Amino acid sequence: MPEPAAFAAGQRVRVRAADPDGHTRAPRYVRGHTGRVVESQGRWPLADDRATGAAEPRVETVYTVAFPARELWGEGTHEVTVDLWESYLEQAAEERA
Amino acid sequence: MSRVNDVGGQTGFGALRIEAGEPPFHADWEARVYALNMALVRGGVYTLDEFRDAVERMAPAEYLAASYYERWLHAIETLVAERKVLGDA
Amino acid sequence: MSGEHASSTVAVRVRRLEERLVAAGVVGDDQLDAILTKLLNGASPVNGARVTARAWTDPGFKERLLADANTALPELGLSMTGGIQEQRLKVVENTTEVHNVLVCTLCSCYPIGLLGPSPSWYKSEAYRSRVVRDPRSVLAEFGLELPDDVTVTVWDSSAESRYMVLPRRPDGTDGLGEEELARLVTREGLIGTAAV
Repeated sequence: MPEPAAFAAGQRVRVRAADPDGHTRAPRYVRGHTGRVVESQGRWPLADDRATGAAEPRVETVYTVAFPARELWGEGTHEVTVDLWESYLEQAAEERA
Repeated sequence: MSRVNDVGGQTGFGALRIEAGEPPFHADWEARVYALNMALVRGGVYTLDEFRDAVERMAPAEYLAASYYERWLHAIETLVAERKVLGDA
Repeated sequence: MSGEHASSTVAVRVRRLEERLVAAGVVGDDQLDAILTKLLNGASPVNGARVTARAWTDPGFKERLLADANTALPELGLSMTGGIQEQRLKVVENTTEVHNVLVCTLCSCYPIGLLGPSPSWYKSEAYRSRVVRDPRSVLAEFGLELPDDVTVTVWDSSAESRYMVLPRRPDGTDGLGEEELARLVTREGLIGTAAV
């Protein structure tokens, strides 16, 4: 049985402020920032593990996460979507209405 | 630690240089580097992620001074040496 | 510094590396030639243009393409299996409200099979650094000015998906067939740095 995805489309997620020494695919400009899950892309081997030659890399759900420009740069009207493995993310509080 | 390749949102790289009618490769050696990398990944010498890691491990000044396929060549040479694919010689 | 001299030095380095790898049996010359033949003959924006023209003329195909591009591509004899392993393809549609543009800020991920080898500007620090921060200034350098009420969405392909933009069908093309429509589509249109 595949493991259920931790985050659902529409949910707010925060990119962990981690700063690993090695290869990672969480760009610096989204770390610590909050976005919204657009969709799940299925499960893929974690690039951080595969870059070390690990025989059995962790396999995780990858999410498309959309960030408003204002969240990333403090200004701008565009949106940036980034593809992020589940362990890069944590749940964020929902915005108050 | 953020690496030199992680440039999203950085300033100072200037205007784009758009080359009309650009060929796929600017020199034959670039094509050979492309093919070598594909063959080495297919052959299981290293994974694409290990290749990206080797590009990113370049010293920042060296990375920024190198052309795209010079970075690839550097990464291939690094991994071939580290994997001792050609023996210890 | 002489670019030509530097270039011939690096060419010698590549030739020596290739010779040693071939001599050691790690790679074969025929294998390298086959990789390049396949790339130069098969990978082309003509493929992405065909997909676009079909989507413009066949609403059912367009729906399947946007829902799951990997299962729609074989209808045109195409696939995402040309690389090391099958990649997920996501096609993102331009509308009157949204304009999409693609980037890989960390390296140079790109749907080579559908768009051909990527242009140098796509791999440059200038493009990768700026398009996520200020996409309109980048699009302006391509001569693309969008109305203020259009939202720009930048897709940073940072994992295992590759993206292709589905441009808007130009006005005044009602009389054109699929092949004529495909000829209107450019590589830049499929990246999102041109309207079509």
